[in-house]
Amino acid sequence: MSQPSDIIQVSNPTQTSTKSALKGGYNPSLGPIQLPTSYQAQLASTASSKRNIYDHSLSRRAPEVNLSSLSYIFNVMIQYSQKNSKGIQELEGKLNTLGYSIGPKVLELITLREGKNAKREIKLVEILQFIHTQVWRTLFGRVADELEKSSEADDEYMITDKQPLMSEFISVPKDMGQLNVNAFVAGIIEGILDVCYFQASVSAHTVETPGCPNRTVFFIKFDRDVIERENLRFHK
Amino acid sequence: MSKSLKTTGEDLWKNKADKVNSELFTLTYGSIVAQLVRDYKQDYTQVNLQLEKMGYDIGIRIIEEFLAKSQVGRCQSFKETSEILSKIAFKYFLNITPRVENFSTDGKQFSLILDENPLAEFVELPDDEKANKQLWYSNVLVGVLRGALEMVQLDVEVAFVGDVLRGDDATEIRLKLIKILKDEIPAGED
Amino acid sequence: MSYYLAIIGTTDSPIYECEFGTHKQGGDGTSKFSPEMKELNPFILHSSIDIVEDIQWQTNSMFLKSFDEFHGPGTGSTSTNVNYYISGFLTSGNVKFLMIHDNSVYKNEDSIKQFFMDLNDLYVKTLLNPFYKVNDVISSSVFDLKVKACAKKYL
Repeated sequence: MSQPSDIIQVSNPTQTSTKSALKGGYNPSLGPIQLPTSYQAQLASTASSKRNIYDHSLSRRAPEVNLSSLSYIFNVMIQYSQKNSKGIQELEGKLNTLGYSIGPKVLELITLREGKNAKREIKLVEILQFIHTQVWRTLFGRVADELEKSSEADDEYMITDKQPLMSEFISVPKDMGQLNVNAFVAGIIEGILDVCYFQASVSAHTVETPGCPNRTVFFIKFDRDVIERENLRFHK
Repeated sequence: MSKSLKTTGEDLWKNKADKVNSELFTLTYGSIVAQLVRDYKQDYTQVNLQLEKMGYDIGIRIIEEFLAKSQVGRCQSFKETSEILSKIAFKYFLNITPRVENFSTDGKQFSLILDENPLAEFVELPDDEKANKQLWYSNVLVGVLRGALEMVQLDVEVAFVGDVLRGDDATEIRLKLIKILKDEIPAGED
Repeated sequence: MSYYLAIIGTTDSPIYECEFGTHKQGGDGTSKFSPEMKELNPFILHSSIDIVEDIQWQTNSMFLKSFDEFHGPGTGSTSTNVNYYISGFLTSGNVKFLMIHDNSVYKNEDSIKQFFMDLNDLYVKTLLNPFYKVNDVISSSVFDLKVKACAKKYL
């Protein structure tokens, strides 16, 4: 990653500060630099005239769109991922990756909106409850149906959703019967757990029950290290 | 006349639309665009093309739902089409009402100006010089419009002419009516 | 009063750094760290990450006031050593906002907390951009300007 020119830059800051003064913003190879105030003022005036994302307020209640619009976009996402995948595993993996990048964003947004009461989750059960309740409510308008711990293994938990919103209008063809497109939502969960340092792998499985043909169980398997850390902390 | 279209649109949105958090929608679309940019290695022309194709696939299906839910009849003019699009269709699917402007004198072209765009909330285009000049972030809308209008026998050329993400004054889509398609049975098909 | 701020990502590498001084009491906003301190600042913050990792499992709160101290060369050419304090803010996604400041925390705790809350707001807005992934460097000049404006407002 470091090329000869980078090394020269770092060791001769006086030379480079004049060269790089043309671009504001943080440059990791240079560290914090203080631009001359005249240039800062110039930057400030150009920045305020352009539209930027920082002027947009986060605290107003999120508007809504039609669920079918989301379903169409999700459908297109599945079709695109399918084109480049050779099987169900790979397709679910791609959907998981797409959801994984969204997880931390959702988490930070929800926490920010909590305002003064915001707190971080530091216990395993609490982060799962946070996902089951807060995350589900923000994304899908209701809490998830069940949160369970597996009786067979201490590193396995399950969140159940009887009627997952995103896959409501998706019908999986018979020859892909094992596919559960909620791999995307599994990715969101995995993304949240990973940044909270509760690393896990999450997968979505269809477990039908009478009356709930779309019932999906999100199977969460925590890394061994995480479970050991939790046990150490709580002297199990 | 346009007032009743507006109330129709709002009623449709209030009563017949299942609603979902728009941030989930924005983030989902965002992750698709980001993935496309990575897959095509910053070839923004290809990304635009892919988005348009995806939109087209959506468009040919979305029109059925729209016609079924809204029960609007045949449009008598392209102008009427523009009004229905902006006041009913966009309202029903995205909860926004873009403005119809710059109608050409022959009645065959108009612009839709989107004052708000739920696809592009909090988006800032990547900092390389190409994105600002080449990427139409919301290009999926172009495909949706083209596909949906084709299903009602209108061959329309649709394209973005401006986007606030790129630093333009407004997000503007231009629609040009090429011709009205007759119901023909293509040769060799039933 | 001088401040050195760094935003550290989940993998302990910095994604943003900034130095500024106070605007209160006639300050002009430039930091007054001595050259030795300027070089030491990143190392000081890096070592304080260890302490953050200890504390983070003991408390739910996001604001970590004055959790570490450093005794080091003062501003100007005098050779006296002064105390530097390190305060922090830990987001729920384990992104750390860490700041070295050279005055006692009692006078400044609320304003530092407010500054971090605003910074959190700016960070989340950056994060919501689909082209920005967690732990990417924040190189936007608008972000930089906004951070400096917040600093001017509170510190």
